[in-house]
Amino acid sequence: MRSRLPQIFFALSTLALALIVAAVWQASTPSWKTCQRNFLQLEAQGEPSAVTKAAVLATPPEIHQVMLTGLQRVDRCTTCHLGVDDPTMKNAPEPFRYHAGLGPHIPSRFGCTICHGGQGLATEKDAAHGKVDFWQTPLLTRDYIRASCGRCHKEGDVPGVPELTEGRHLFETQGCRGCHKLNGVGGSIGPDLTEEGANRRSPEWLEHHFLAPNAVSAGSPMPNFHFTTEQARALTYYMLSLTNEEMGTYYSSVRLIPSPEYGRQLFVEKNCIVCHAIGGIGAKSGPDLLGVTKQHSPEWLDEQLVNPDLVYPGSSMPEYDLETNARKALVAFMASATAQDAQEILSGRGHALTPEDAAIEAGKRDFARFGCAGCHGTELQGGLPNPNAQGGEVPSLLHVSDDYTKDEIIAVIRNGRAPPLDKASGPTPPLYMPSWKSLLSEEDIHQIVDFLWSKQQKSKESW
Amino acid sequence: MMNLIREFWQSIVRRDPLSTDKGKSELVFFNVWLHVHPAKVKKQNLRFKHTFYLGFITFFLFVILLTTGIALMCYYRPYPPQAYQDMKDLQFVVFMGPFLRAMHRWAAHGMVICVFLHMCRVFYTGSYKKPRQFNWVIGVFLLLLTLSLSFTGYLLPWDQLAYWAITVGTNIGSYAPIVGGQLRELLLGGHSVGEAALLRFYVLHVAVLPTLIILLTIVHFWRVRKDGGLSRPVWKLKPSKTETLVTIGSPLEIAPLKTGPASKDKTYGLMEVVTGKPIFETVTPEEEEDAVFSYPYAFFREAIALMVTVTGIMAISLFFHAPLEELANPAKTPNPAKAPWYFLGLQELVSHSALLGGVVAPALMVIVLLAIPYYDRNSSRRPSDRKWALWLFSIFVVANLILIVVGTFFRGPGWALIPPWVHVVAGAE
Amino acid sequence: MNRRAFLNWGTAGLVALCAGVGVSLGAVLRFLVPSVFYEPPQSLKIGNPADFPFGAPTFLADEKIYVFRDRDKGFAVASAVCTHLGCTVGYLQSDQRFHCPCHGSVFGANGAVQHGPAPRALNWFEVTLTRDGQLRVDKDKVVPSNYRLMV
Repeated sequence: MRSRLPQIFFALSTLALALIVAAVWQASTPSWKTCQRNFLQLEAQGEPSAVTKAAVLATPPEIHQVMLTGLQRVDRCTTCHLGVDDPTMKNAPEPFRYHAGLGPHIPSRFGCTICHGGQGLATEKDAAHGKVDFWQTPLLTRDYIRASCGRCHKEGDVPGVPELTEGRHLFETQGCRGCHKLNGVGGSIGPDLTEEGANRRSPEWLEHHFLAPNAVSAGSPMPNFHFTTEQARALTYYMLSLTNEEMGTYYSSVRLIPSPEYGRQLFVEKNCIVCHAIGGIGAKSGPDLLGVTKQHSPEWLDEQLVNPDLVYPGSSMPEYDLETNARKALVAFMASATAQDAQEILSGRGHALTPEDAAIEAGKRDFARFGCAGCHGTELQGGLPNPNAQGGEVPSLLHVSDDYTKDEIIAVIRNGRAPPLDKASGPTPPLYMPSWKSLLSEEDIHQIVDFLWSKQQKSKESW
Repeated sequence: MMNLIREFWQSIVRRDPLSTDKGKSELVFFNVWLHVHPAKVKKQNLRFKHTFYLGFITFFLFVILLTTGIALMCYYRPYPPQAYQDMKDLQFVVFMGPFLRAMHRWAAHGMVICVFLHMCRVFYTGSYKKPRQFNWVIGVFLLLLTLSLSFTGYLLPWDQLAYWAITVGTNIGSYAPIVGGQLRELLLGGHSVGEAALLRFYVLHVAVLPTLIILLTIVHFWRVRKDGGLSRPVWKLKPSKTETLVTIGSPLEIAPLKTGPASKDKTYGLMEVVTGKPIFETVTPEEEEDAVFSYPYAFFREAIALMVTVTGIMAISLFFHAPLEELANPAKTPNPAKAPWYFLGLQELVSHSALLGGVVAPALMVIVLLAIPYYDRNSSRRPSDRKWALWLFSIFVVANLILIVVGTFFRGPGWALIPPWVHVVAGAE
Repeated sequence: MNRRAFLNWGTAGLVALCAGVGVSLGAVLRFLVPSVFYEPPQSLKIGNPADFPFGAPTFLADEKIYVFRDRDKGFAVASAVCTHLGCTVGYLQSDQRFHCPCHGSVFGANGAVQHGPAPRALNWFEVTLTRDGQLRVDKDKVVPSNYRLMV
């Protein structure tokens, strides 16, 4: 052994040389260089003269990247996708094909991953497409790409994506907030959805979950809402758009411009007239809003809309989860609103304003916000299976006035109907009407009951 | 003109030509980088099967870590989330980025393993005994510094693995009595792992700890030389005619030396280097005759050890790239959350008892290790005279290995005991 | 092994080692050259030709260039970086010259040095029309001062 040492040294040195050369070779031949060479061949074909052909083919390989500080990302997709902004590459094979129909969403301003998903920092195909371990946002399939529009277009109707409007609407009316928080407003029974789009669940998972919650999430207390496939897709789109990401103003300014007209639209949509008056026309529960922008700063009014309880503790004004520009629009409307506007809004309602309207509106809001709709249905129809309830089903609330007085219902809401544990059946924890006295004030409970009573249907055999 | 060149050359290289004995000696003696070596080594000092050159290998791994580390520093910013983005850049954009990062990571794991193996070797050959006791103590501190360097470096990628491994690791440390909590906050620069922790760990990893380890390494090497050179199996050598093979070292016995005939006091004259008289250890006359010049014999073997280390790490790095998980997410704990592998034995102990496992056991281990050379009164290094010591140490080593293996392979979600051959179905999130 | 064989193998090994070290040094140098720059790119699209008015040039601050558009001759792009020590020059429409505020260099309408310590004329950059109808400026390609892109 000792005598062979020089040969061993030689062998090791040669091995070391071979290894370092192999490492340099490995580093010098990444797949994107081959891709670029192929593209240059394609481009050179379109060149008229041999000189320009040679010039094109001599282009040195380099990594192309788009730095998007406003979107906090760096996209290197164009290192391989070189024809994305070249109309002559309309019929080129992928990855060189031209991307038509972008409108203002050009790659140099938006990159690629904000819409398509994937890993912008990568320069290898599978890694860049996000189809690797430890990258939870792979490329979205064609079915779901348009959901990304909702990441910036947060308000109003998004052109070309009716699913987002539908999804948003379903979320607010089906009582989802009763169990799920969104932007701080909602219940705590289910997970917070503020960043659901960034939670990296696959679109397919989300859609299946809406169609059959328990099949996907074993033991989940989320009831089956029997959505249609279109509704499930709309909700999936909405979920995918909830990324709660920071964006530069160039991107966030795409939200609707805060005009007084938009503000008036919101005023009607949220039924503010049911508690507030303008110049004496309207309801008297809350303060009169005429000239309110002369008494308070825009920041104060904005805060009031975000968190009424902070400015006036104990206020019965509910929390509305409004976007920044929506709030600005409302304030803009209030700056110019007159009693005339209030009158028009009142007449537009169809029926006269009664003193109970404020309570009923508040009750309706609480009904949706605290998840009553989740079990009893948005139309109060009930019908969801509950082995612990009389008749095996969650009762409908449309006829409670037949069998109960208001006080009795108030007691039921306050105390709940927890089944005795040894007799409880069905999933664990057992399903039952919870006690709400710790979450709802007496006033809230009264308002809910007022709302219920406003919805009662006369049954055929009433006595 | 040639004279000028010759004069220029000779102003730099002032020794005699290497073909002469004097030149070979001067190469070592006059060179600042090489003069920790003796001009001549005993052939016994070069025995591969005695030391396996583990000390050298550990040192070369450290050199690899230094060079690759400095290279990586050109592309790394220690601020979340740029840190993670820079890791991705190293992976996808930087020329030889993945290779250098892999070299750094595997050399780090290698160094922890080799430092441990080196410690085992020193124990098994009894090389910590008089007069080398304090060098063992320095060695234990070098082990702790190596673990600290590995631990501080572990956080820098700022991925889920890094974040939670350091969370678990610093929480284990906080169980130390009285100062544990405060020490943890000092280390983290806050109450939990965040920006401040990353910056502090970075400063520790690139500046403070390397300086300390280099300083201690210098002392460690110096002491090896002063203690008589690399360890050799003294029990196998023929005994000297004039005295037993017990090493002499106590200050009272230094002068005069009871060596063989014609002993001379050592001076730092060149003449003395050529005849090779040690101060602290006795040497048999046969060994005396068997001494060879460091150049080329010792340096050649060192070069081979270096080549083996470098080619080994390069080969591994070519085929196995360093892992990178998703971006650190304080809101999402992976299940299970594990400390780096060399602390998994500790985490396993902690899972049974925080105080006993996290504080008492490791503290005891370190104290026992440090004290070994001082309560081991047996002055013989022959293995057959040391059976108890060898068995005890082996049990210690195997116990540690078992704990690490259990922690790595047998602990699943919730730290439940799940053998690795059982497939765990991931629960719905 | 005899001395000659030792030296032969040893030298061969050393040669291989040196070659390895040489390759490594080259690799380290290449490693240190960045492959991507976190800066505004050297070659970029500046917009549609229709966006640029005739007459007074358009100054693009991030890219430090002046975009001239002439009715007869077309587009030309001049660097706004003074060739003396790198300050940004200003173009005065009144005398149609570039003035540098740092040390008083003055460049004529074609970029030539008329006054001051600047050693060279201002650079003019290549501007081309891309296939989707945008203007592309390449600051890595310096062209003569009479270069024009007719659109």
